[in-house]
Amino acid sequence: MGMTISEKICARAAGKDRVGPGDMIDAEIDKLYIKDLRFSKAEDPKGLYGLFKEILKEMGIHKAWDPDKVIINFDEQPARSMRRAEGQESAKQFSQEHGATIYQGYEGGIGHNVMVEKGHVRPGEFIVGADSHSCTYGALGCFATGIGFTETVGVLATGRIWLKVPPAIYVELAGKRPSWIWGKDIVLRIMAEFGPNGAVNKTIEYGGSALANISIESRLSMCNMAVESLALNAVFPPDERALEYVKQVSNARFTPVESDPDAEYESRLRFDLTDMEPFVAAPGVPSNGQPVHEFVGTKINQAFIGTCSNSRIEDLRVAAKILKGKTVHPGVRMIVTPASYGAYFQAREEGLLQIFEKSKVLLTASECGICTRPSLATGEVCISSGNRNFPGRMGHRDAQIFLGSPATVAASALAGEIVDPREFLPS
Amino acid sequence: MKKNFKGKVWKFGDCIDSGNIKGVMAGIDPEFHTKVQPGDVIVAGINFGMGSSSEDAPRSLRDAGVAVILAESISNIYLRTLINLGLPAIECPGVSSIVEEGHELEVDLESGRVRNLTNGAARTFAPFSDHAIAILEKGGLIPYLKSSFGKDR
Repeated sequence: MGMTISEKICARAAGKDRVGPGDMIDAEIDKLYIKDLRFSKAEDPKGLYGLFKEILKEMGIHKAWDPDKVIINFDEQPARSMRRAEGQESAKQFSQEHGATIYQGYEGGIGHNVMVEKGHVRPGEFIVGADSHSCTYGALGCFATGIGFTETVGVLATGRIWLKVPPAIYVELAGKRPSWIWGKDIVLRIMAEFGPNGAVNKTIEYGGSALANISIESRLSMCNMAVESLALNAVFPPDERALEYVKQVSNARFTPVESDPDAEYESRLRFDLTDMEPFVAAPGVPSNGQPVHEFVGTKINQAFIGTCSNSRIEDLRVAAKILKGKTVHPGVRMIVTPASYGAYFQAREEGLLQIFEKSKVLLTASECGICTRPSLATGEVCISSGNRNFPGRMGHRDAQIFLGSPATVAASALAGEIVDPREFLPS
Repeated sequence: MKKNFKGKVWKFGDCIDSGNIKGVMAGIDPEFHTKVQPGDVIVAGINFGMGSSSEDAPRSLRDAGVAVILAESISNIYLRTLINLGLPAIECPGVSSIVEEGHELEVDLESGRVRNLTNGAARTFAPFSDHAIAILEKGGLIPYLKSSFGKDR
């Protein structure tokens, strides 16, 4: 019996010849991502570094397991609370004393995008991150999942985690992707099929003939949403497109792995993308997706392109294409928060930022921004390219959040209501 | 560390996210923290602990003295965090169909058996790995690391 990509990476990390679903493994990790928030005292009065120092002392050792493998990013710049500011100071101190890499200022942005753009995510690697959306990295053919605060302290000290190998769902993408359909549309449709629990603690593995025509940005967006289906991880095979991308951003060596032809999957789903309509998720949970025509005419107050889910250069290009020469509806505030300063400067070079400004879009610094900070008043309606639409996620509990692709967000911002973006795309 | 638990059941439904678990299930029952007693058992449906990975939610149940948590399924970050905090969390398909609130439940970690002492019904679950047992025995990942480094690593 063969193994899947995820099983192969888990087996290698655990020093075993093979593993199967349900096996508990003790895995050596290749990389640890930590967002600055974890260094604050939000979850433990000692804070991450305080607790880590205490462990080192009792263990009688002096260094982190492997500082070269620890990447820290400041997801909020500048810090807007004392707690956060002190967390960032603690992270800097940790980096100085232990040698971890920190991305901040114009080197940074939203951590998950920075990790990818700076070449820290490579096919075949076993990566954990102290944030639930660390599953994003699977887009480049690695095994990646989020971990909690305590586990992060453990990984810093030992470089290992224990894990139950997940069973895999194979999602075959067939047909031809229409040019107006992006990763977010596809994943919202798949998540609606899963329902709220269909992928709990499982691997989602993408495959099929349509893959070659799905961009790296769209793949990142699709893997980012895996945790919203309660999946442990999601993974794309490291095809030519992925390998080419990784070689552009990293000189390091890596060993891609593919699923065996006789790998075993718990279940298989097939989606034909040929006649797909744009998808939108209704407020509540991200699995509330339906074709966009179900929501057309819903008035909106805010349109947001941002988050680790969808604000990359591909997203900014599409939005600018729709907005060019037009002005956002007077009843709508549209906010664009680029994925990273890499994407921000690229967009400037391509003239996209100027298009946004002329269209009356509010441009912000690259950070998590209003995905995690309140911006919606009671009863307001937002369409967002983000990943979470839980009640209260972006402000008042009675505010409503719809999720859609950047194209749907930009077109809806022009109309003042949810629309089918295909009618707004210049031919 | 105890590997065999007998306790009174508190039963919860499906898809309870960590935001509602925070403050000892405060989002579901604001008075629950006054009802739950040390040694009690929580039984829940699917997707227990979904949502944010913040540790406030699992820490509140541990600090309230909950002895063991069983659910049809548990969000992976939540499950790992509970064990790393020293609280056995078990995915046990079918468990919610064999117990009602107030029943007495016996859970044996080593054999992977759960038995309803009130009505005799039983279910099995995949036993913990030696590694997870070792973490639980020390009361969580942090005390485990403090005591074990240089011995088995």
